[in-house]
Amino acid sequence: MKYFVLIIFFQASFEVVFSQKAATKSTSQLLDLAVTAGSSRGAVAAAYVYNWQKGKRQQWDLGLGVRLTTAFGTKQEYTTAPANISRGSSIPFIVVVSEQKTANWDTLVVQRPLTASLNATANIGYHFNSKWSTGFNIDLIGFTVGRKSPAVLISNGVTRTEPAAKRAPFNILLTGDLDYGSLNSEFFIKYNWNEHWGIRAVYQFVFTEYKTNTIKQTAPDGTMVDRFRNKANNLGIGLSYHF
Amino acid sequence: MRYSCQLVLLLLLLASCSKEKVTSTVTAMDVPDTTAQLKYSGKFANGQYGTTSGTVKIYVKANVYTLVLDSFMVNSGPDLHVYLSKEVQPLNFIDLGVLRSNSGVQVYTINGMPDFKDFKYALIHCQQFNHLFGSAIFQ
Repeated sequence: MKYFVLIIFFQASFEVVFSQKAATKSTSQLLDLAVTAGSSRGAVAAAYVYNWQKGKRQQWDLGLGVRLTTAFGTKQEYTTAPANISRGSSIPFIVVVSEQKTANWDTLVVQRPLTASLNATANIGYHFNSKWSTGFNIDLIGFTVGRKSPAVLISNGVTRTEPAAKRAPFNILLTGDLDYGSLNSEFFIKYNWNEHWGIRAVYQFVFTEYKTNTIKQTAPDGTMVDRFRNKANNLGIGLSYHF
Repeated sequence: MRYSCQLVLLLLLLASCSKEKVTSTVTAMDVPDTTAQLKYSGKFANGQYGTTSGTVKIYVKANVYTLVLDSFMVNSGPDLHVYLSKEVQPLNFIDLGVLRSNSGVQVYTINGMPDFKDFKYALIHCQQFNHLFGSAIFQ
């Protein structure tokens, strides 16, 4: 069984790498740069995307890629991250619709957050015609580097200083507040003005996480919490180059 | 089209950058309540990142505490706040808000009734960079 899975994996990898020239009509590759902004924050994301085009008219894109997202801001609010404390359920998928336990949330105001996250992405898209298309992409797994920053932890009206909060180093998509680390997702509408170049209007939902070092939140069950999450809704534009 | 895209990208970048708040240099002239009772006072000393002078006073009237900065002066800095703190380098503190001016007389209302045996310092602190500009210990 183990060898069978390995053979399938290598065969799939072989197909991805060597099918590019043989089947150019059913696949596409692109580079993209997106710039987005929100309230006292912004993000710049550079991505490589490999799409398989599906459907009778090859109107669907299904793809994988890799994306570097740099998120920055001033005085951004990060709230208690672990799902077993912040939400009513920590079961995958159910966590998304479970109750928000806001009474358990503390706020970490990170004064000068700056993170750079490199993640694998999944992409889906639909072409209305040769010019217009829409799509969605989401980060899956990766890692983050970033700047340490002073922060203020506000817990039941008590304020404490964290001299050097630092980014959560690893990222993984586990659905809803079970997610860990810094993950970017985008919904977009794209206009291709020629064979190679396209421009996107982007709605971005990006998670970033910071961890405290010297102080921690004490949750009602006694758990010591050091991981806090910011969820940002940003708007912006992207520029795509199709190979 | 190429230049239009470059311009839009540049505008977006600029829109996301907020100007750092620097304390006003217009001298404040708040009027303290002269009928309130003086409870504590202290003189400011320089912090590692600033030059601060003047007096801090804590008044109480009808169980409401106020902090008064008198003959006060500090050099300009970004995001300066007035803290009541348990430590001279603030770890546990009460944020009384953004410093309104870098000179003059200023009055700040204190929410609640902190124990000034614990919160024995008044600080002028740059929150964004965690830099101490000045401190005074209550006597």
